[in-house]
Amino acid sequence: MDFSFSDEQRDVQNLAQAILNDKATPERQDALEKQGERYDAQLWAQLAESGLLGVALEAKYGGMNFGFTELCLLIEEVGRTTAPVPVVPVLVSSVLPIQRFGTDEQKQRLLPGVASGELLLTAALMESCNENPATPALTNARAQGQGYVLNGSKLCVPFADKAQRILLSAQTDTGVGVFLLDPQASGVSLAPLKVTSQEPQFELLLNNVMVEAKDVIDTGAKGASIMQWLAERTSTAYCAMQTGVSDKSMRMTASYTGERQQFDVPIATFQAVGHRAADCYIDVECQRLVTQQAISLLDNEREATTEVEIAKIWTGDCGHRVSFAAQHLHGGVGIDKDYPLWRYCVWSRHIEMILGSSASTLALLGGRIAAGRAFAN
Amino acid sequence: MKIEFTPEQAALRTELRAYFEQLMTPELQDEVDATPGEGGGPLFWQAMKKLGQDGWIGVGWPKELGGRGMSDIEQMIFVDEVMRAGFPFPFLTTEAVGPVLAQHASERMKSELVPKILSGKLIIAIGYSEPAAGTDLASLTTTATLEGDEWVIKGQKIFTSLAQHADYIWLAARTNPDPDIKKHKGISIFLVPTNAEGYDCTPIHTLGDVTTNATYYDSVRVPADHLVGELDKGWRLVTGQLNRERMSLVNCGPVSQLLNNTIQWAMDNKLPNGDRVIDQPWVQINLAKVRSGIEVLKLMTYKSAWKASNPVEGEDPMTAAASEMADASAAKTYGTEFFVEAYRLLAEILGQASTLHLDSKGSELRGRLEMLYRTASIITFGGGANEIQRDIIAAAGLWMPRAQR
Repeated sequence: MDFSFSDEQRDVQNLAQAILNDKATPERQDALEKQGERYDAQLWAQLAESGLLGVALEAKYGGMNFGFTELCLLIEEVGRTTAPVPVVPVLVSSVLPIQRFGTDEQKQRLLPGVASGELLLTAALMESCNENPATPALTNARAQGQGYVLNGSKLCVPFADKAQRILLSAQTDTGVGVFLLDPQASGVSLAPLKVTSQEPQFELLLNNVMVEAKDVIDTGAKGASIMQWLAERTSTAYCAMQTGVSDKSMRMTASYTGERQQFDVPIATFQAVGHRAADCYIDVECQRLVTQQAISLLDNEREATTEVEIAKIWTGDCGHRVSFAAQHLHGGVGIDKDYPLWRYCVWSRHIEMILGSSASTLALLGGRIAAGRAFAN
Repeated sequence: MKIEFTPEQAALRTELRAYFEQLMTPELQDEVDATPGEGGGPLFWQAMKKLGQDGWIGVGWPKELGGRGMSDIEQMIFVDEVMRAGFPFPFLTTEAVGPVLAQHASERMKSELVPKILSGKLIIAIGYSEPAAGTDLASLTTTATLEGDEWVIKGQKIFTSLAQHADYIWLAARTNPDPDIKKHKGISIFLVPTNAEGYDCTPIHTLGDVTTNATYYDSVRVPADHLVGELDKGWRLVTGQLNRERMSLVNCGPVSQLLNNTIQWAMDNKLPNGDRVIDQPWVQINLAKVRSGIEVLKLMTYKSAWKASNPVEGEDPMTAAASEMADASAAKTYGTEFFVEAYRLLAEILGQASTLHLDSKGSELRGRLEMLYRTASIITFGGGANEIQRDIIAAAGLWMPRAQR
């Protein structure tokens, strides 16, 4: 058991903090939001320049050759600043499975560009009424020539308009296929969505879209397990982001209540206020611990389905409770869009609902318990 | 960061689990169940003696004091496994008071008591709380006055658990009555033999069938060298062990075992329609809630143990102490409130069978959930009321200003 961060991990954390604190200021985010798009291309370029976009990429693709732990440290800091950059869709949901399961040609073609910031990738992980990307129900792929023809639809696809390729799963004759879709290909249509977190998201419609052989990752034998692999990492990465989001909103609340005076004393000295904040501290500590465990196990390629589910359950519950406690203790100040707390609230909801809520994940864990696969040993 | 057991730690766990499974014979289990949480029967003392012989008492003590010198993580594994097995191990004597005594007691008391503790022949009860000094412990009024070469102790303690089996009371008494000094500054610790003249102990029968005691000190005289540590400096000995004590209160061993037993029960029992109890969605949800709550508890306790032997390099000692305090208080608050919730979630699965007493026909899981409903009332205020814990968290964890008291 080792809960410490190595010197290299601290370096990654410090570097990420320095850049994000400097560039992802509330004023900058406000300006981007007023322009109508929550994406900071300049910041993304700076993260590329610092090497952070390649933190978990092998050196031969221009990366730093670190692992999932270091990547999650970056993501936690993005959560702590609510920086408008697509770290999870790009660096986790699409880059990690390509690096792990893609062909050499795919890796050579796509990964160096991600590290240098020249291109974005994303993943389409949900369909209407289906939040499990390992069991696509509305999207199918049929072999044609060397490639596949895709039909169907995906919902809530982040940054679909800017991505060079969109990683997605589709039913094939032999199982679940994993494909890299070109959003510019004929038959693809994107409809913008308007979402709580203001992340740019799209509905993706596929009408006889041709995917060439070079963009196929798997045709069905291992597709479901690849999607499960990336879903666990995506969920866990969002848990890491929630740690940053909740921790920061809790600390903003602690300092606000220490300054805000009513009845001639700081409101933090009222036990009812202190205790609500203390409950946030407990929640954040719980969420952080189960998240770090999931990260550590995945980084070492251990079987960690139970631990990832537990982290996701805590993330949804903690994110929700801390968000409302922070708003409540801020009084009216927290809802004012000139004060940054509101962004932490909308991102808590974003993370809570992605890839299954606490309730649906509890049901999954309960099913695994009933199957004798999750005893408390 | 590597949050999993090392192969050596995993091997220790396996060894201990097998050891305690063997130690807990059905006869010992019956004896333990008859006196929940207490021990003290003949088979208990036999098991204690064996633990002493096998070197499993004082696992965390330094080797030069006769202990095993285990690391904090290994100690936590030990505590987990003992508690999972359900053996009423006298942790307060062996792991909380013991090492402090071995360090701070007089030479004569050390040479008399330490070998007995390490061989499993002696239990020490803690005498802190008084009828009018609970949460505000430093306002205690039991006094000790030096007369010649003896201390004369006068006062009353309450909730002196295990006093009925104990050879000594680890007693906090006021030794400096000066009203102008801060009240926690005039307190000292004494070892009071339970066979001393003027000492009396009467049982308090509790909701949970656990017997605790009121103890009385009617001019009890003890030799001068029964004072532990420095005069008037006992408060440090009282609080020095609090973080560790809070952590040991919320060990995840017993609730893990209880969850596993409930899962097995729900797999083995059928509903009228032929489905297993565990096939019902609500049962699965209850089990999953408990399962995910346990995971946090495990990580909290192991992280605190890990932290104890891995101080952050260059961290300001004040900051480190504050964060340790906040984490111990967070674990105590979370853990105790989780236990109350978990026992309910599991009892719901058994339904009315969870109200059948251990001794009753039809009881399930050795009546454990029936008993826990009654014993769990104490955990949210015992070991420091959770309100105080939340005060500590707000101040030490979040640096929020405190109200004047």
